[in-house]
Amino acid sequence: MTSKIINMAEKIKDAEDRILESMFDSAPIADDGFSAKIVGKIRRRLWLRRLALPVAALIGGAIAIKPLAGLVTAAVRLSSLLPQELLTATTSPLPQAPMIVLGAMLLAACLLGLRALDDSRWTALRRLERARHYRRDVPCQRTGSAR
Amino acid sequence: MKNAEDHQLVARALSAQDTAAFGELVRRHQSQVRNFLRKLTRDVAEADDLSQDCFMHAWDKLQTFSGRGSFIGWLLKVAYTTFLQSKRKSKRYSEILEQVGHKMETEGQSYSVQSDEVTDLDKLLAVLDDEERAIMIMSYACGLSHREISDATSMPVGTVKSVIFRGKQKIRTSFDIKDHQHG
Repeated sequence: MTSKIINMAEKIKDAEDRILESMFDSAPIADDGFSAKIVGKIRRRLWLRRLALPVAALIGGAIAIKPLAGLVTAAVRLSSLLPQELLTATTSPLPQAPMIVLGAMLLAACLLGLRALDDSRWTALRRLERARHYRRDVPCQRTGSAR
Repeated sequence: MKNAEDHQLVARALSAQDTAAFGELVRRHQSQVRNFLRKLTRDVAEADDLSQDCFMHAWDKLQTFSGRGSFIGWLLKVAYTTFLQSKRKSKRYSEILEQVGHKMETEGQSYSVQSDEVTDLDKLLAVLDDEERAIMIMSYACGLSHREISDATSMPVGTVKSVIFRGKQKIRTSFDIKDHQHG
């Protein structure tokens, strides 16, 4: 009831309001490719985002391949130099255990992060859906230039 | 696509990153956003640049649109924030220039008209400060309700009403706006 009274009071315009409205009034601006420019920019940005990860991985791989190959050959050489008892000791499961735990924790964190990203988008959609139901239930009070 | 409601288009743009749906939203509301920023800055080129930034920000922050108010109200909020950010940036830039010994040509002018022709509206807007100008434009040019302006500017409805009242008083003391009606 109170909100209806407030809305009605807002709609009552005096002569001064009408003059101000006519002074502020202006012709609509033609699109002239403005929206196409925005959409083009957004599409370019989306493509860049999609390409960024594979390109970064490719560049990183290209940079890392040489030192990685050197590391592998050094490891092979080292293993041939080390005594047999030492090599069997390193293959025991105990030293790898912290690495496995760390890897599992990292994987879980990644999965949780991806889930959270997906959830935020769906939460926004659900909120929109709820708002649409709300708007359907409550008749809209807006009448163009309501004040 | 052309018959779809704004809320449906937002949902499409959000769910499938549908740029065509967002493009339709831009096409529908570009005139109001550009008009709002042109009146706020009184510089067509600057206003159009800000409008582009505004729509890019709107795309990035589309998930923050709750759907409770109108889409244009939310869009004008983004436009106003973009305007304030750009103003802050240019102020910082002029401060840096001052520090290195340069003086900005527009120094001291909070509101300058870039075109040669000074209209009645320009004179009218020149007596208002940024906040009053934005709220008066939202109210009289864009037809937003006090509630929508309150959402757009993050101000209480009472403050919006008092800013409009103050703006009208300033205009009344500077101009006889009844003259405009007859002449």
